[in-house]
Amino acid sequence: MFKMRRLFLALAAAATTQLALAQQGAAPIVIGASIPMTGGVSTFGQHSRWGSELAIDEANAAGGVLGRKIEMDYQDNRCNPAEAVKSVTQMLSSKKYVAIFDGLCSSAALAIMPLVERAEVPFVVANASATSIAEKSGVGGNKWTFKVNPTDASMLDALVAWLDKEGKAGNIAFLGEDTDFGRAGSNGLTEALKKRGKSLVMTDFYQKGTADFSSVLAKIKARKPAALALYAIDADFQNLMRQWHGMGGGIPLTGRVLVDQVPKEIMASGVLDGTTSVQPYDATIDSAANKAFVEAYKKKSGGTTPIMVGFESYEATRILIDAIKRAGNTNPAAIRDALAKTKYQSILGTTLEFDQNNLLHNNAVILGVKDGKVVVFGFSKT
Amino acid sequence: MDAAFLAQLLLNGLVIGVIYALVAMGLSLIFGVLEIVNFAHGEFYMLGAVAAYFLSTHVQLGYWATVAIVVVGGLCVGYLLYEGLLVSLRGEGFERSILLTLGLSMVLQNLAIYLFTTTPRMVQGPLTYANYTFGEVRIPVLRVYALGLGLAAFAALFFILHRTQVGKAMRGVAQNRDAALMVGIDPRAISRLAVAVGIGLSGLAGAALAPVYAVHPLMGFSFVFKAFAIIIIGGLGNVSGAAIAAIALGILESLASGFLPQVMVDGLAFGSMILVLLLKPQGLFGRGVRV
Repeated sequence: MFKMRRLFLALAAAATTQLALAQQGAAPIVIGASIPMTGGVSTFGQHSRWGSELAIDEANAAGGVLGRKIEMDYQDNRCNPAEAVKSVTQMLSSKKYVAIFDGLCSSAALAIMPLVERAEVPFVVANASATSIAEKSGVGGNKWTFKVNPTDASMLDALVAWLDKEGKAGNIAFLGEDTDFGRAGSNGLTEALKKRGKSLVMTDFYQKGTADFSSVLAKIKARKPAALALYAIDADFQNLMRQWHGMGGGIPLTGRVLVDQVPKEIMASGVLDGTTSVQPYDATIDSAANKAFVEAYKKKSGGTTPIMVGFESYEATRILIDAIKRAGNTNPAAIRDALAKTKYQSILGTTLEFDQNNLLHNNAVILGVKDGKVVVFGFSKT
Repeated sequence: MDAAFLAQLLLNGLVIGVIYALVAMGLSLIFGVLEIVNFAHGEFYMLGAVAAYFLSTHVQLGYWATVAIVVVGGLCVGYLLYEGLLVSLRGEGFERSILLTLGLSMVLQNLAIYLFTTTPRMVQGPLTYANYTFGEVRIPVLRVYALGLGLAAFAALFFILHRTQVGKAMRGVAQNRDAALMVGIDPRAISRLAVAVGIGLSGLAGAALAPVYAVHPLMGFSFVFKAFAIIIIGGLGNVSGAAIAAIALGILESLASGFLPQVMVDGLAFGSMILVLLLKPQGLFGRGVRV
């Protein structure tokens, strides 16, 4: 009997060793990512890549997932829904991807959603902010899509709650790009103000890629709103900032003002003083977890400070890796079920769980400009 | 209506119009002489702006030195472009010219993205944040410089085309290439000069606007399509017509921005183009003789 037990233990040990060795040489777990690597927002695509690669590097350094290395295969979608559909269709047809990551742009993510639903593969949205992504996901909708970053609606609700508390939520004008991103911003702000018995005094959209805003800014200034909510990114935002400075400012800015991307000369001039902005993240947040993240990110990116896209991609990738671990296998349905049960400790200090729309509700960071400097005013729940 | 608001809109419109004219005049000149629609014109404007960014930011050159070097560079690039690529497009080369310049545009744009990335760059200088103020009306100093450069370029081009032998030769080649050859004009030399001046003008536009707008590889794309609408409105190949149409469109767009939703403004250029094509297909200033 004793001999039998020893023999059994020896066989079990040998089998475990063989299994571990086999797993060392096993094929990696591959996640497919569709992000803009060329085109107008490829800067954001690069940050998305740095963020997700950092999370993957950390996971692989800690022994991988299920004993296998994890990899992300990046395909370029140029922030174009048609390109996103093409890249994700190719990835889904190859059957080697356990999940699809991001899309980055709202229009691209919305175009990917029906594809992953048909293929029954989990889709983790890290950066796209359109509210409709969450509205179409979860109970009664697309069960395969999980949105990690806050929606525009939830971000703007957090901002308006803050502004209302400060008595600054009245008489706001809106200017945003004429895309799903800008339209979602306008709708989110309208809804958040409506909840508090207020409304936008004027709404205007511009075509993405517009270089000259001098006349539309003159129109907004002539209407004398209490604040101007901006929903602009990239070169449009830089042009807006320079031309706003050229016009002497004079109206506090709010909305999604990318205060970390304002040229220092404009910031120091004081023309943006009084700005109150909402962002999912800011690199200056004073916490040990954020400092460690910023340091690792800079190491990964060759010295570039993380922006919200990099942060969101990092956290979204960690959440996905954690779900694969908890699923115990790479079956897409098992990963989806594990994602639904996520409990993740964010760098921003909150423990995150998906709601019935497969949406996480992290804190939004309320940033402001005071004496020519960006300051973190506080956090507001999304 | 607030007079200061109206004055601000008119001033903004005049500056935007002259900016459009800088790009459109070169495009019109090249079409007038060579009958080539240069789809890569916006990319030469972008390359002018990128060159101005490097000269002012990395070589620390001043505004006027940067503008001069970029214009001379543009003239040289235009010369090489003609001798290297466009010289082969003779006779029935219209379709080939579209494919060639469209391909060139893609190559230049993607090369710029590869080398420069799409991150928008801002030229910083001592005048970057300086403004002229007239009561409640404000205008950045560098926009006034761009306005002055645009008007000077138009005056110089008008003088060359109408008061010099070279200008008359350009108009002669535009009118009838074979007849010009028979009276001793070298069409190749004149075409080369027209392309050099056209690309030089887009370089000037790039250098003048680099300190005004964000510099990035996609900046030429939106400008060039508006420039096409302008040269059609002004009369294909008519440089003066293009300049007048550009300034009129700039002012019209600015006034529309002040009173209508901004999304409708871009439609104005193309709406006007369609209207002109329906009512006066040769353009507002179209004549038998181009340039």
